[in-house]
Amino acid sequence: MSASSLHTLLHRPDVWRANDTAVDTCPTVSTGHPALDAELPGGGWPIGDMSEVLTDCCGHGEVSLLLPMLAQASQADGWVAWVAPPWYPNVSALAAAGLCTPRMLVIQAVSAGERVWALRHALNSGACSAVTGWLDRVDTALLRRLQLAVREAALPLVLFRPASDAHMASPAALRLQVSVAAEGEVRVDILKRRGRPANRPVHLGTRPGIPVRRADILRRRPALALVG
Amino acid sequence: MLWLALVFPEWPLQARFRAQAHTQPLAVAAKQRVVALDAAALAQGVRHGQRMADALALAPELLTRPRDSAVEASALKDAAGCALHFTPHVALETDGLLLEIAGSIRLFGGLDGLLRVLRSALAAAGFHALSACAPTPRAARWLALGTPGRTIGSPGALPAALNALPLEVTEAGEARLATLREAGLRSVGDAMKLPRDALALRDAQALRRLIDQALGQTADPRPFFSLPPEIDSRLELPVPRHDVDVLLFAASRLFNSACTQLAAAYAGIAECQLELQHEHTAPTRLVLRTGTPTHDARLLASLTREHLARITLPEAVTALRLRAPDWIEQPGRSRDLFGTQAPSPQDRQEARDVLVERLRARLGHDAVYGLSARGDHRPERAQQRDEPGRAQPATGKPQRPLWLLPEPELLAERDGQPWRNGPLHCLGRAERIEAGWWDDAAGSDHPAEALRDYYIAVGPRQEKLWIYREHRAPYRWYLQGLFA
Repeated sequence: MSASSLHTLLHRPDVWRANDTAVDTCPTVSTGHPALDAELPGGGWPIGDMSEVLTDCCGHGEVSLLLPMLAQASQADGWVAWVAPPWYPNVSALAAAGLCTPRMLVIQAVSAGERVWALRHALNSGACSAVTGWLDRVDTALLRRLQLAVREAALPLVLFRPASDAHMASPAALRLQVSVAAEGEVRVDILKRRGRPANRPVHLGTRPGIPVRRADILRRRPALALVG
Repeated sequence: MLWLALVFPEWPLQARFRAQAHTQPLAVAAKQRVVALDAAALAQGVRHGQRMADALALAPELLTRPRDSAVEASALKDAAGCALHFTPHVALETDGLLLEIAGSIRLFGGLDGLLRVLRSALAAAGFHALSACAPTPRAARWLALGTPGRTIGSPGALPAALNALPLEVTEAGEARLATLREAGLRSVGDAMKLPRDALALRDAQALRRLIDQALGQTADPRPFFSLPPEIDSRLELPVPRHDVDVLLFAASRLFNSACTQLAAAYAGIAECQLELQHEHTAPTRLVLRTGTPTHDARLLASLTREHLARITLPEAVTALRLRAPDWIEQPGRSRDLFGTQAPSPQDRQEARDVLVERLRARLGHDAVYGLSARGDHRPERAQQRDEPGRAQPATGKPQRPLWLLPEPELLAERDGQPWRNGPLHCLGRAERIEAGWWDDAAGSDHPAEALRDYYIAVGPRQEKLWIYREHRAPYRWYLQGLFA
């Protein structure tokens, strides 16, 4: 058997190699972070499946992880729904990240039941092109309903949940745990994905909104002195 | 010409309750006599024309209501509105309808097909009818009363079909019928056989004229019903109820009849009012808004469900009333040949309006919004809530945090450094924002004028915060946002 015929054989869609992530899964949309895309089955956030970001971070770039996808979704003719965000989204920061801010729909809901209800309606309405939400203290039955809704709607759905929920079973197709690494970096552990389990974390430089680092400031000082 | 007669049995009862499930026997009375009753009452021995005292003696649990001709007239209009979906020629009787359907039969795939669709539309609105077809309206009605389900296609077959019907179906007046019965007449055939003079002698020329009309020998003009462009229908509950499911079921009766009428008129409603009436307190009013005009009964029902989930009723509901005064014309929309097509911009807009209204119905009006940029440099005033989808676009600014706090949060200060669970280290140079000196800040804790130096700060857990220091005494630190 020649090398080329082995190559074609291995690339048949019905031949599966144990060290591959699942390839022919549901469609995906790129996360906008090449290092993360490389580790995700299909190369991005799953469309028509639930993704979870489990994190206790706040102010570390955990939402920025999502922004390239949301920006892309907002360019389509549909709304981007934010269900129960912890604070007000800032339109000037989102516009800077490429989001079409008039297509944002913010929904406030208090209880987990109401949040899941709002998420399901946003998914099923046919009015949204991406849905994201913040959940805590949610039971598996509610998540299962959500999974059914997202499968029917065929949209990307990303949920933010506290890191303490990582041990709970979830019907999500993709679960990422985001924690703080070094300065200007987050560490993404892929807890669950289709296909082979991931064994090493992905480090992403997010540096949200900060073009100047401390090193830059130190470097700039002499320049300032020169100008002065 | 082919006339379809619909007769609503026990109409005073149907008009009032529209076939809601109930456990107790029900009857409607006029002048202390039973005029309509349900199967449960019949089973306990209650009969038409019985005195109320006797009926209550037979069935002590019997729920009775006085007859209300206004309710019956209004319910008949609802039923006629539903029937307009099938033919433009609908005439009203006291407890039934006459539909001229010769032109519509083909459209619904034959008489059976038309009857099936018509029955299910009426059933959804809470009406149950007996029917019959004949070439003249009067013959159709007599057949519906005497032998429901019959269809007589040709005028030649009419005399034979009418022959065996009892004389009562002619509705010629109780006193006159009693005279004829005494003369030994039992059926319509008996009356037809009599010479005209003989009928005239018995003061029954009127009956002869009715027979002539039924046979098509005398003209029988009928005024056709035209739809009033508003809906105001009412439905009574047999027993006052609290349960959401019962109320929703009753409301869906009203929605179904309203929406069939709207569809017949090529119209939609963007807003309607559902009034839940109570025995003692003022009615609870639910305003259902759909954003775009619709005649989708399921949508109205789901909006009602969200409203009912949110409110607490002051007491049990005795009746429901639906009012939809403003109709909006909705020209038909064409679909492509194979049914499916990509959603049009109009579909998208409808989907958005429906989503917003549904969310607001349950979560409250202010819980669902878009965000608009405003021309103000103060971050807490640089954006405001707006109607979803109508928000003003924002211009992107670098070095802005993703989250904004609703109000700037005062930070502690230790050793000259801002403090939040640990010291905060400022990065980079300050960005100075000075604005709002023109605003009057009377009655507010925060001065409207902002004289601030903004910094990006790193906290003890490496979190990035957007903080500022007032550029005037007492030089306090505030947290404004978080870089997420």
